[in-house]
Amino acid sequence: MFDPQWLPTIMIFLPLLGSLLILITPNRWRDEVAGFMAAVTLGLGMMIWYAGGSGLLSLNWIPSLGITYSVELSGVSLALAMVTAFMSFIAVLYAARRIPNPGTMLALILAMETGLLGIFAARDLILFYVFFEDALLPSLLMLAIYGKAHRMRALVKFAAYTLFGSLLMLVSIIGVRYLGGSPTFALVDLKQHLVTGPAQTWLYIGFLTAMAVKLPLWPLHAWLPDFHEQNHDSGIPDVMGTLYKVGGYGLFTFAIPLFPDASLELRPILMGLAAFTALYSAWIAFGQKDWKRLLAYAGLSHMGFVALGVFSLNETAVIGAMYLLAFQNLYTGALFLSVGMVQERIGSLDTRVGGLMTGAGALGGMTMALWFASIAVPGFAGFIGEFSVLLGAYQVSPWLAFVAGLTVIAAAAYALTAFQTTFWQSRPLGGVVVRDLVHTEWLILGLPLAVAIFFGVYSAPALNLMQPAVKSVLAALGGN
Amino acid sequence: MPQLVPPDVAFLPMLPILLVLAGALISTLLGFWVSRRTLTAINIVTVILSGASMMYLWNRGLTSFAGSLQADNAAVLLGLTILVGTLMTLLVSLDTAWRERVSFPEFDAMMMYAVTGCLLIVFSGDLIIMLIGLEIMSLAGYVLATFQGSRRAEESGLKYFLLGAVGSATLIYGIAFVYGATGSLNYAAIAAKVGSVSNLTPDNAGILVGGSLLLLAGFGFKIALVPFHQWTPDVYSGTSTTTFLFLSTVIKVAAFAGMLRVFGGALHDAPGWTSVLQVLTAATLIIGNTAALLQVNFKRMLAYSAVAHTGFLAMCLLGTPELGGAALGYYLLVYTLMTGAALAVLAALQRTEAGFEISDMRGLYYRHPGYAIALSVCLASLAGLPPFAGFFGKYLAFQAAFQNGYVWISVLAAITSVAALIYYLRPAMLMFMPDRTPAREYLHGQRFPTTFTVGLGVAGITVLGILPNVWYSWVANPAIWQFLAGR
Repeated sequence: MFDPQWLPTIMIFLPLLGSLLILITPNRWRDEVAGFMAAVTLGLGMMIWYAGGSGLLSLNWIPSLGITYSVELSGVSLALAMVTAFMSFIAVLYAARRIPNPGTMLALILAMETGLLGIFAARDLILFYVFFEDALLPSLLMLAIYGKAHRMRALVKFAAYTLFGSLLMLVSIIGVRYLGGSPTFALVDLKQHLVTGPAQTWLYIGFLTAMAVKLPLWPLHAWLPDFHEQNHDSGIPDVMGTLYKVGGYGLFTFAIPLFPDASLELRPILMGLAAFTALYSAWIAFGQKDWKRLLAYAGLSHMGFVALGVFSLNETAVIGAMYLLAFQNLYTGALFLSVGMVQERIGSLDTRVGGLMTGAGALGGMTMALWFASIAVPGFAGFIGEFSVLLGAYQVSPWLAFVAGLTVIAAAAYALTAFQTTFWQSRPLGGVVVRDLVHTEWLILGLPLAVAIFFGVYSAPALNLMQPAVKSVLAALGGN
Repeated sequence: MPQLVPPDVAFLPMLPILLVLAGALISTLLGFWVSRRTLTAINIVTVILSGASMMYLWNRGLTSFAGSLQADNAAVLLGLTILVGTLMTLLVSLDTAWRERVSFPEFDAMMMYAVTGCLLIVFSGDLIIMLIGLEIMSLAGYVLATFQGSRRAEESGLKYFLLGAVGSATLIYGIAFVYGATGSLNYAAIAAKVGSVSNLTPDNAGILVGGSLLLLAGFGFKIALVPFHQWTPDVYSGTSTTTFLFLSTVIKVAAFAGMLRVFGGALHDAPGWTSVLQVLTAATLIIGNTAALLQVNFKRMLAYSAVAHTGFLAMCLLGTPELGGAALGYYLLVYTLMTGAALAVLAALQRTEAGFEISDMRGLYYRHPGYAIALSVCLASLAGLPPFAGFFGKYLAFQAAFQNGYVWISVLAAITSVAALIYYLRPAMLMFMPDRTPAREYLHGQRFPTTFTVGLGVAGITVLGILPNVWYSWVANPAIWQFLAGR
């Protein structure tokens, strides 16, 4: 029988293969090839899930440098990889219909999927860094090729922030291994050779910078709204972009086990920053007049929650954060696509167009349901995540939990106001006839919504997957 | 009556140098009868033969002239890197020399003389051989920079010559000091005399420090270390692109090889130079990267990027010889491949020798998709993005400096890399932006040798990025770098 340890590797590189294949496929078959590859990747994820996660595969990549190729998909990483594969499939589905001559876009989506799956699967710090940077290239190209007028500024901003963080992380990575004296960069080895003392704090800060940019945590978030605003109207790059928020995952998988003392030491400051980020960005979101910027700030607010959960180092909160991290991609991604559909119909991303509901009832209904998921209405996956985060954070710091809790109210305010001014209110005079959902659009919004509802009502499968992983990571803190 | 001792002359260790020299002599003599393209073809053959002879010398550790010339593994590895750069230059010159108005036999002759000098530096076992090599290399380089009969080229050549001469003079002065302090010119003898910092054998340590700092300044001119970098942007952007390719890869590799021999081997335990070098490296990182950020001309930007890369390469010298040598050995090859390929694309597409404006690159992808992808791969690699080899080069440089205790310079390098990313990224992304202005003019440029060079470079940096072991496993052996000074 085939060795299941190899499944994550195949899952990671299959999309990249598909992306290269697209470049040599004739135009008329490109959609099918991309869809097939994305579907097979998702199928592989299902297989791994069915098998209860894969074991750790570790090969010597560059033996003389102690760099290994270690990958594993289990627990939290498997959940995140599955959602990534799922949303990539949705993005491919939509891109094939929406973008004229979509070959390049499809190739980029698949290339990015490889980077993201790699990030989640990597169990070696250098490998993690490599995938971390690899996911950057397709997203930059998407912005460069399909972006809007001011994309160059957005692009430079995005790249500068990201690289600033990740290069400091690279220095930290070197330090973690060298000062700890581990033989390799594999997580297993590094955990047994922890750096201690003040050096750990400094290395943690270096690592944290990269993750804080990716999360993004205030004050390193400024690239995010521009990045989303300047991307293609369809929202496809944004779907990949929201998947890009690997900061929370990186903190969870690498930062807590490798810097346990430092993360306890800095916990109050970081929790404060996270709570502030959540509330602040919800407040900013309320003032936005552009759907994409609104969604960007909404995503930022969710990520503040994730960060609050991770930084609180409390089991309930961390599980909640991971749950939120995984499923936030579903509804925020789908919302970006729904905004893309609105833009396709009326040619505007303004939040105050009004009257869409008269023509496009199904689109409005779906969007509203997705917004409910996003603002953590019970019955959707988001609720379980946010509630657990608050519950756990309360045990650590009641006041910060209270501050973050205010975000839930703010979220309802910005989401419902924007929804109301776009879909309800009076239809503008001379407004165009708005087409309702057609063909695959039903699936594109419906499938993520269905998954969000499913895991909102029946959370056991996902929780069972994540709980052991979270327990084992937090065990590094010495039973806090 | 004193016994007459015949000199120890072994030709086998000199074979790679002699082959290249033969190419230079053939170009000088046959130039009267044969076309330049034929000569270039002959030179390509001699370069390949020279490479083959180097591989033959692998692991033999032969010496000649009683250790003054040593064909150890370090020499072979760095020599091969030089030959790769030479090969790329020769191939590109097949297509572009005519347009650049340097299509005459002397161009090939001078280039091969310069390579001879470079190889002499790499194979050197004492300061005199190193100096001879350096002078041959430099003099040929000055001529190369001036060859193209234009005002810009003359200006750049003159600038190069004047500043280079100052550099050489400083270097010679430094050699004299080191000789004065240690009583020897041989690397191994100097290293033995210098011993370790704690029990410095020469009584006149002050002279030794002065000598090593003068040597550092002299080499600083050749590798464009700030503040000795002033000539670089003008010379690189003033000469023809092919010459730029040659100067920024082959000459720089040779100068770094010389530094590695002198500072990694002979003077490794000498006091003082590391603290000065780290300050200069920091200045190079800051000034090179920020100045490149401000350029609007692509060729000039690449010239400043060459300065910035000097900073990263110099970080390797701050490491221990084992780690730093390995890092430098890997980085130099990668640097040659990526810079070579990027300049080859530029040479193929530019209309004038000034290169083109960065804004002119908009939409290149839609006109020359192959070149655009290749160039963006090179730029991504220069910026240090995985999976391209530039990433591991940078990583190794960081590691070498970090593990030797230079944490702050690693952090500084990381921060300045952000500027590097921006100036590499802007042209790379512009290429992919759709262009709504009427078609820009680029030269067609798609001739086989250039395309082959570009393909070679891109394939090299991709393969070395995904499987760094292909090259790194050769250079990683610490035993190679322990005896840089000879034994």
